[in-house]
Amino acid sequence: MKKKFKVALIGNPNCGKTSIFNMLTGARQHVGNYPGVTVESKAGSFTIGDAEIELIDLPGVYSLSSNSPEEDVAFNELTKAGIDLILNVIDSSIARRSLYLTTQLAELHIPMMLVFNMSDDAQKKGIKFNIEKLEKYFGSPIAQTVGRTSDGVRPLVEKLTVALENLENHGVPMLSYGSDIDDSIEAVAKKIDELKIERYAHIPSRFFAIKLLESDSCTMKIPELKSVMGEVAEQIKHLSDIHAIDDTTTFMADCRYAMLSGACRDAVMMTGERRREISDKIDAVMTNKFFGLPIFFLAMYITFWFTFTCADPVMGWIEEFFGWLADSVNAVWSEDTMPYLRSMITDGIIAGVGGVVVFLPNILFMFFAIAILEESGYMSRAAFVMDGLMRKFGLQGKSFVPLVLGFGCTVPAIMATRGIESERDRKTTIMVLPLMSCGARLPIYALLIPAFFAQKYQALMMWIIYLIGVIVALLAARLLKNTIFKGDGEVYLMELPPYRLPTLRSLLLHMWDKGKVYLQKAGTIILATSIILYIANTYPEKTEFSKDYDALTTQVEKSNIDKEKKEEALATLENEKMAESMEYTISGSVGKFLEPVFKPIGFDWKLTTATIGALAAKEVFVSQLGILYAEGEADEESDTLRQRLAKHYTPLQAFCMMLFALLSIPCFATLAIIKREMNSWKMMFAEAGILFALAYITTMLVYQVGSLLQIGTKIIGQ
Amino acid sequence: MAKKTENSQKSVSSNKELTLADLPIGSSATIVKIIPNARGGKKFADVGLVPGTELVMESHAPFGGLIRVKVMETSMALHSDDAKNIVMKKESKK
Repeated sequence: MKKKFKVALIGNPNCGKTSIFNMLTGARQHVGNYPGVTVESKAGSFTIGDAEIELIDLPGVYSLSSNSPEEDVAFNELTKAGIDLILNVIDSSIARRSLYLTTQLAELHIPMMLVFNMSDDAQKKGIKFNIEKLEKYFGSPIAQTVGRTSDGVRPLVEKLTVALENLENHGVPMLSYGSDIDDSIEAVAKKIDELKIERYAHIPSRFFAIKLLESDSCTMKIPELKSVMGEVAEQIKHLSDIHAIDDTTTFMADCRYAMLSGACRDAVMMTGERRREISDKIDAVMTNKFFGLPIFFLAMYITFWFTFTCADPVMGWIEEFFGWLADSVNAVWSEDTMPYLRSMITDGIIAGVGGVVVFLPNILFMFFAIAILEESGYMSRAAFVMDGLMRKFGLQGKSFVPLVLGFGCTVPAIMATRGIESERDRKTTIMVLPLMSCGARLPIYALLIPAFFAQKYQALMMWIIYLIGVIVALLAARLLKNTIFKGDGEVYLMELPPYRLPTLRSLLLHMWDKGKVYLQKAGTIILATSIILYIANTYPEKTEFSKDYDALTTQVEKSNIDKEKKEEALATLENEKMAESMEYTISGSVGKFLEPVFKPIGFDWKLTTATIGALAAKEVFVSQLGILYAEGEADEESDTLRQRLAKHYTPLQAFCMMLFALLSIPCFATLAIIKREMNSWKMMFAEAGILFALAYITTMLVYQVGSLLQIGTKIIGQ
Repeated sequence: MAKKTENSQKSVSSNKELTLADLPIGSSATIVKIIPNARGGKKFADVGLVPGTELVMESHAPFGGLIRVKVMETSMALHSDDAKNIVMKKESKK
């Protein structure tokens, strides 16, 4: 017996394929992307005895055609050489529809095993199977499983062991499309045989012949098959003449369903009456015309609450951990050995990466909540309910959840757009997502609003800022749909699977998959920017200052003022010195150099450097202003920083800062994720350029008009 | 929404035919034919929307657009624009 096997796992969407995959492989899985498409690729491994099995989890598909990127991927993966066995998962409770895919898989003549999953559901519904008959018909062994429990997959493992030992003499399916169609298939297959295509030597020509006869675009794209297209056209014409049909692309589909109802007639028995399922009862409320929307908004609110409120204490622990880490490094590493490296590691890397890893609980909690919504089956209901409203803005039902998540963090929100099948709708959603004001911009508003606006206007200002983001995003979506993403929408077809209680195991795995991606980001992009920013904020070091700070410091220390005042004076001196060095660093020079560019929008060089720093993460704007305004350690609760800012800037300028922060690109991480998800550098640069232009022009208009009309040049409301 | 009456069966022009888009909520009907080469025809065929299949209209989404039908014991949401291409016949048995 061979020791290594490659097994492909395939089935309809919602057939419980993922739970089988998780059950078999556990944590031994890795997630990636198929090159060129946004379809997630998943593989894992497990062992039976001494046999090592590599399990490839193909995307859920209804058919092996080319109706979607998922189906393209499934087609390409299965026609590649090297697959030892196909594991076809079938939802036993709706066996007839699930077996449609099986009829096409059987034609590949790769050893196959059928997994009749959710057999408990089928039993409850009163469905009985003549397994022996079905095994003979499809030429494949059948295992009946319950994928949600580890006991439930045992029959699968047992049968799989046997199947892998008998790969050489696997059964042959008894599939026939009827004599005249089979004749046409034969005629085309013969022509394909003559071509002797080497890379498809392991797949019967009959498979390709059938695909060509139903005008499958994936098969028609295979260059080697070009020469048989004449024969194909002839056979199609012949078939449509004798059957008087006018659409040959769906002809084979009709035949397959006819074939299946024949096969299932005496093999799948319905006993007892079909009960109205609980699922339908839940849906009578959930997707109700009147309750549907309020329930959806409540679900979104709970998701939000869970993501931000429940994750909060965990974030505190992580923050403490990084603080402790920096302190310990400083304690172990004496100041005399390589001081530059020491401070780069503690102030640059640990502070920078820590600042991002702090958001990991948010990300994990959010994806946990999303996993519940998705795996319970509610997500597709939410899309169903929201679709009409979103379509008015050029988006669709499935865009809504990512847009709401965008208030939290743009990066996971962009990852969440993967659920949108329509490529154009997905791209539109990604492009407008950065306009939803993310959580990292909140510290900026929280610092500026109390500094420049009277108490009674503060909430209003916050609301206005968020509202501007939403309105601009929706308008932009409409604009995109009418310009670069123009054209008819794709055909919309979405399954609303029965409600199911998700298992904790699958929720945790789902959450971990996403969390891993985020951690990788922190380890790469954020790490690099932290180092760069640290260097830019530190070097070149200033050695000659306008004042002799050392002398002034000793002077203060020697003076006879009371202790508290002394400390304050020392701190002021320290901060002034820091601000002066800051001006001398790369950040300072860049800020000064770019000042003329940002002048029309009301920014001086300090705001300019803060804006540039904010590209790494928006929160950096606040900490950068803190350093520049000689406040040392600053956060949005810093009152002295607010007083200084209020002295230097007008409310109009403060509003411009917020507006610019809102409309410009949130951070490098967002750009990186846009590049990855759109699979295009061009779109990434376009997005960054468009957002910058939008932010710049809007802010300039506001600033110039505001200055002219003298609006907001004094503290408002005081 | 205008409800079609039973005698739409002997249709003369195509717009008199009962399509999936016109099917009232809660009622069931059988697919007679699918307008040839309609967009998405193959995609629909692959989930079982082929002549002879019986389906039930389950609900309409708020704000219009999507409809939800039960086909082969599975709930599917599709656009009413696409549903217009699916010609139905009401079951006479009751």
